[in-house]
Amino acid sequence: MSQWLAKVIDRASTVKDSLSPVRQTALATLSEQSWPTRRTEAWRYTSLHEVAELELQQPSANANAEAPVIAGLNSIDLVFVDAQPVTDIAKLTLPAGVSINALNDADSQASRVFNQAKPSHHLFGLVNDVLAQQGLVVDVAAGAQVEQPIRIVNFVTDGVESHHRVLVNVGDNAKVTVIEHGAGNGHSMNTAYAEYVLGKESKLEHYRFAMHGENAIHMGGSHFKMGESSRLNSTIVGYGSRLTRIDTDVIHAAEHAFAKMNCIYLLAPKEHFDLHTTIEHAKPNGTSEENARGIVGDKAKAVFNGRIHIHRDAQKTLAELNNRNLLLSRGGQINTKPELEIYADDVQCAHGATVAEIAEKELYYLQTRGIPRSQALVMLNFGFVQELVNQMPNKALSEWLQPLLRERFSAMETK
Amino acid sequence: MMLTIKDLQASVEEKTIIKGLNLTINPGEVHAIMGPNGAGKSTLGYVLSGREGYEVESGSIQFENQDLLEMEVDERARAGIFLAFQYPVEIPGVSNMEFMKESVNAARKERGEEPLSAAEFLKTAKAACKQVNLPLDFLKRGVNEGFSGGEKKRNEIMQMILLQPKLCILDESDSGLDIDALKVVADGVNSQRDGERSFLVVTHYQRLLDYIQPDYVHILADGKIVKSGGPELAKEVEVSGYAWLEGHEEASA
Ligand SMILES: Nc1ncnc2c1ncn2[C@@H]1O[C@H](COP(=O)(O)OP(=O)(O)OP(=O)(O)O)[C@@H](O)[C@H]1O
Ligand SMILES: [Mg+2]
Repeated sequence: MSQWLAKVIDRASTVKDSLSPVRQTALATLSEQSWPTRRTEAWRYTSLHEVAELELQQPSANANAEAPVIAGLNSIDLVFVDAQPVTDIAKLTLPAGVSINALNDADSQASRVFNQAKPSHHLFGLVNDVLAQQGLVVDVAAGAQVEQPIRIVNFVTDGVESHHRVLVNVGDNAKVTVIEHGAGNGHSMNTAYAEYVLGKESKLEHYRFAMHGENAIHMGGSHFKMGESSRLNSTIVGYGSRLTRIDTDVIHAAEHAFAKMNCIYLLAPKEHFDLHTTIEHAKPNGTSEENARGIVGDKAKAVFNGRIHIHRDAQKTLAELNNRNLLLSRGGQINTKPELEIYADDVQCAHGATVAEIAEKELYYLQTRGIPRSQALVMLNFGFVQELVNQMPNKALSEWLQPLLRERFSAMETK
Repeated sequence: MMLTIKDLQASVEEKTIIKGLNLTINPGEVHAIMGPNGAGKSTLGYVLSGREGYEVESGSIQFENQDLLEMEVDERARAGIFLAFQYPVEIPGVSNMEFMKESVNAARKERGEEPLSAAEFLKTAKAACKQVNLPLDFLKRGVNEGFSGGEKKRNEIMQMILLQPKLCILDESDSGLDIDALKVVADGVNSQRDGERSFLVVTHYQRLLDYIQPDYVHILADGKIVKSGGPELAKEVEVSGYAWLEGHEEASA
């Protein structure tokens, strides 16, 4: 066990709220964990030695910040700084069928969702289980068709360690959009986990933006428990930061669920990004489509591990997983691994992973039309990511993201 | 002079493909190049465009008053050379619209003109789209992404119309086209003939040349121009093919 983890366990005993009973189970599991090394499968390509020795401060209570303006988004904004709430929930006007409570508000009945979608094997998920006192519980009533997106923004700041938790319950036949937006920089470490329980025939449009700066350490996950015939459309956008690790789980806990997940990562030079995704097809007739695409700058490192687990009962499952990477220089590194475990015989499962370097033929074509090589490089390489940005159902978000990512990319190119 | 190629010898992968080629094109002229498969017609286009991997071993290429061989691919394009590809490449993810806007604006920048706004460009692009008979939604699709063979060819002609080059090299822009599309492509080309703009039209079929009347027809075989003449030469080829080449090469050897 690391020095840091020992302190986490110490601090956990001081956390007392309505979730305490469920936190106890997590604490017991966490106490049995050994600190990951390079020989630990889930951390093979990501070293935690920096985390092991972290000594950061707890967040201070009176922070202030505003959510980034996104033209045309018109969202309900819930802002946090180092997981501390800035927005007064009581003052929000919420759409019909939506209720939002602070995680530590006993009325929120957070335990209904807590650890319902997130498996217990994520080390930092367990840390979040025992330490996260701040966050939200969002309830969308059965049948509610919520058009206004709910946006949860969490800024990190220099010198601070923080833990944030979001729990969302989407009622039967309900429809909602939730955006988890992490931003900020400074030598910081935060964990941010979100769980979603999707009711029968519900629809969730989900976004996770992990846009932390080059000094931040970010550990988090988004986890989904799919109800019968529910639909998930999720987009995850990650910067590398000093170290970003994101775990996602989609659990097909009932039949006929459909999950689409697009992941985009753009790593500036020297950044580190690790994405582990798992799709659990536990029931028949489920569909999952996952596309992860990333661009890796000089001396940056990307890790992608895409696991699909089709249980013996999960006949007629359709699962697709694809990972495409572009290395901008030989100095960058990509470790990509699909992990398929298929125990049912009547399924269709396709997967693929590619690592490309600059495509000379396409570059040439653009150049024959007068476009300078440097510009053509940006057009080509961004296009491959843009495809996924364009697939985002929310146009205000894709229009906001497009230039942001393009700018980030051109900065990587002309370093 | 628009283009002067002298004693050009060029190779791909260390294999010599163009073996001493001479060609002069004046402003406003239309030259057709015919010749058997593998003769080096596409290679000539690539060499003119400046494609990487196509080594010029000897000879010279003068474009207007510039030494073409000293220029990068994109510089040549901005100087006014346009190559319509035999097999245009698909680029999913870059929209046709964005692609063409950037290329038109690169040409404008070269001429010292202001870039076109999205709205201005859209107007021009719509007109060009109509001219080659492609539905407007082709502007939104990825460059050539999922286009049929004929649609790709029309997309190339649309780019030519938008870019207003000085020398247009059309590499089999007629192959794989149905009769109507062939007419569309030919009309597109003819609309650009203004007495100044020159064309180098690579084709296997006399049919295209019925629509686009060439000033000269050249037969390219084994990396050289082995025969040149007027439009009647294309008709000869249509009737008797290239069997006579064997004898010709022996005779010239
Ligand atoms: N990359 C390459 N490596 C080796 N040989 C090549 C390469 N590219 C072209 N060639 C060869 O060069 C020769 C000329 O090819 P080119 O494509 O120019 O012919 P073409 O006259 O355009 O034929 P077609 O009428 O079939 O289009 C062919 O024999 C071809 O196989
Ligand atoms: Mg050819």
